[in-house]
Amino acid sequence: MRSRLPVLRKRRRYLVIEVDSEETLRSVDLAAEIHSANASLYGDAVVAGNRLKLLHFDGRFGVIRCSHLKIENSRAALSTVYSVGGIRTAVRVIGASGTIRGATEKYIPRLSLISADSDGRRIEQEEVSGRIVHIHGRQIDLCPDDPSRVKGSDTKYLGLTSFDLRGGYVDADGTADGLRQGDNCIQP
Amino acid sequence: MSFFCDGNVHSLPEGSDSPSRLALEARRLGFGCLIICNHSRFEKAFFPEAASFIRGVEVVMGIEVVAENAKVLHSRARSAKTRYPFVAVHGGSEEVNRAACEDPSVDLLVHPEEGRKALGIATIKAARDNDVAIGFDLSPMIRLRGASRSRWMGLALRNLALMRKFEVPAVITSGAMSHLDLRTPRDLISLAEVVGFEASEAKEAIQHSLKILDRNRRAWASPGVEVL
Repeated sequence: MRSRLPVLRKRRRYLVIEVDSEETLRSVDLAAEIHSANASLYGDAVVAGNRLKLLHFDGRFGVIRCSHLKIENSRAALSTVYSVGGIRTAVRVIGASGTIRGATEKYIPRLSLISADSDGRRIEQEEVSGRIVHIHGRQIDLCPDDPSRVKGSDTKYLGLTSFDLRGGYVDADGTADGLRQGDNCIQP
Repeated sequence: MSFFCDGNVHSLPEGSDSPSRLALEARRLGFGCLIICNHSRFEKAFFPEAASFIRGVEVVMGIEVVAENAKVLHSRARSAKTRYPFVAVHGGSEEVNRAACEDPSVDLLVHPEEGRKALGIATIKAARDNDVAIGFDLSPMIRLRGASRSRWMGLALRNLALMRKFEVPAVITSGAMSHLDLRTPRDLISLAEVVGFEASEAKEAIQHSLKILDRNRRAWASPGVEVL
């Protein structure tokens, strides 16, 4: 016997989210934070009608179920996620679909998880100095020697790009021993 | 290029990200323009030239003037207007809010609710007469929780009602200090709807900074007389 009549079944939408965070997040922590952010913004009564739920999270992309009438509410609630277990995080909705399959095929790339390099090299410049924590593409996260540099923004790392390291050095890379050639290389 | 513009973000040394990193992220999120307005104390941004290497997004260096009283504000705003295409003022006290709205050198008043009081009618009328937009920095919606956020939302709603009445333009910004604080234009519209904006109003408010930039880039011989 079916537990629910099909005519009483609520219509759903599936939101694909991209999560940007300073460290790797656990799916359980992210789900708890999303629920907390939603309840804090709208209160328990509205949350009960929305049934926002994290169905899948691979470390970068995730799928969230919500009511088809509450997409904008869910979008607002997700954008209020500020940190997950003390790790600074941003959740951005990249698309919505009526089925999980549609959402996955349309919005989640096959090789979605970025493997960021961390080889402990340093940047020594007049204005910024510190240890490179992550490099992916042109983006560089730097752990500064002076922690007060990130005080105002409440983050752990400074966000730079390979373009910022150009100039002032013969090797045109700005790192103590040079950035890797290829995608991260700075071509003048 | 997208017609959305985030009109008040902060870069190194005030925030934690360089202008080029903010530009990379803004382009990915769907913005066509980014205005970096560091507070006067952190006026010199870290390597702003690097942002010009990011194609598809325009990065404009503005300033957010901080002043203790009206006299200092007028002097700093006039000086800033000659150096930057976009001048914002960090509001708060009633005196500073009023002085900013009465100064034609000012383009945008941000954080007017920081003094925990809504804007007055005379202030709003002055903003309308001097073409000063009122900024809605949505970062308190993201950072705050509970009573402090509901207090902020109450003040923002009262300012919004006055602005609708006197037809003063609004500018919605993320007030980002790092790339993690940036949100997509659609996310900002959804957040603004929670505060009390209509969706069309919110969309216009995210695009309004571009209109201000366009106006400031034209050459004016005197108020209302353009040099063509």
